[in-house]
Amino acid sequence: MELSESVQKGLQSLADATFFDMKTFSVFIEVAFRSLLSAHADRSVLDQPEFKRLDQKLLKHCHTAATTCILEGVKQNADKSTISACLEDVGFDAERTEVFYTTYQKCRSDLETLLSSLGRCPPHINDVSWRLEYCIKNGHVHKVNEPSYLISLNVENANNGGSSEDLHFSCTMEQLQDLVGKMKDAAKSLEKATQL
Amino acid sequence: MLLVLSDEHKEHLGFLPEVDSAVVGEFGRIAVEFLRKGTNPKIYEGAARKLSVDAETVQHGVEGLMYLLTESSKLMISEVDFQDSVLVLGFTEELNHLLQQLYLENRKEIRHILGELTPSLPHYHNLEWRLDVQLASRALRHQVKPTVTMKLHLEESGGDKSAKVLQTDPATLMHLIQELEKALAELKTTHCRRILRNIK
Repeated sequence: MELSESVQKGLQSLADATFFDMKTFSVFIEVAFRSLLSAHADRSVLDQPEFKRLDQKLLKHCHTAATTCILEGVKQNADKSTISACLEDVGFDAERTEVFYTTYQKCRSDLETLLSSLGRCPPHINDVSWRLEYCIKNGHVHKVNEPSYLISLNVENANNGGSSEDLHFSCTMEQLQDLVGKMKDAAKSLEKATQL
Repeated sequence: MLLVLSDEHKEHLGFLPEVDSAVVGEFGRIAVEFLRKGTNPKIYEGAARKLSVDAETVQHGVEGLMYLLTESSKLMISEVDFQDSVLVLGFTEELNHLLQQLYLENRKEIRHILGELTPSLPHYHNLEWRLDVQLASRALRHQVKPTVTMKLHLEESGGDKSAKVLQTDPATLMHLIQELEKALAELKTTHCRRILRNIK
């Protein structure tokens, strides 16, 4: 796991018992993981009573270092030996490594879900609504007498901050059958692929 | 249902009995062509010169024919009603028959052209799909995330085509299929069948 010098320095401070005794360290690790998983950025995340006596600049540096290290680990799918080796390099004793790794294991799958949702992708379809109507006449043609469907796809733009929009289109019964047929082809090949 | 022709309209069409039926046939062809592609005033001048009449008279004649055809097609009037409506113009039987043939042969196409004027949403044209598995991204390596990428082709009533690239996951795809199958099944219910049968 490659960590920058600044991150390594931050972790070294975290390993230092003169700054962080075991209790403070444990609370700190909990806070670091929690701050990554919480939905909203919380400005007061570091306002724990245990951190009162610590230098604020140091605290922030260690927090950045810890969270960077955690994210790198999750990103690379790091196993116990990789993490232990990395933490040992920056001076973590066995007890601190254990505390870190236990919390890492606990939060790992949630962090993975979080990271996998980041990134660019085409607009994502979330839902579909439909309406069946029977057109009797309109201003230009009378006696139309045809059924038609109005389909709305609810689509989410991952890029524009999760804004969702609706894609509307109409179709005849035959066209809808064609659409559903093609979707079913896709689903069938998905099923086949999972059996490979 | 009878077509009610205004006096002005009757006046414009009054030009038709004065020329050969071949010429009327030609005017009919021009009228349909204009409905398909738009008018071309040069044609009026050419015809006017050949027939030794005003270009305006020719124009009224052709436009009268166009209006007769669009109104009849819009209302989808029956042969009998068409005959009765045209009777009021006092044309010869041959001319009436010619006009009726013109109407019957072209009404489907004219209704289609008129249909393009109605406000409408883009309609479905085609769907292309592709199965992908995301293996890694900048934020996370070692992934196995199946996705279905689709290209939805839509067409406006004017003929403009557009294509949207969309993505979905397997679970949502199954949900979409389920919902749309429900939509299709709805047409086969007794309620819908009854409406479709009775409103004609």
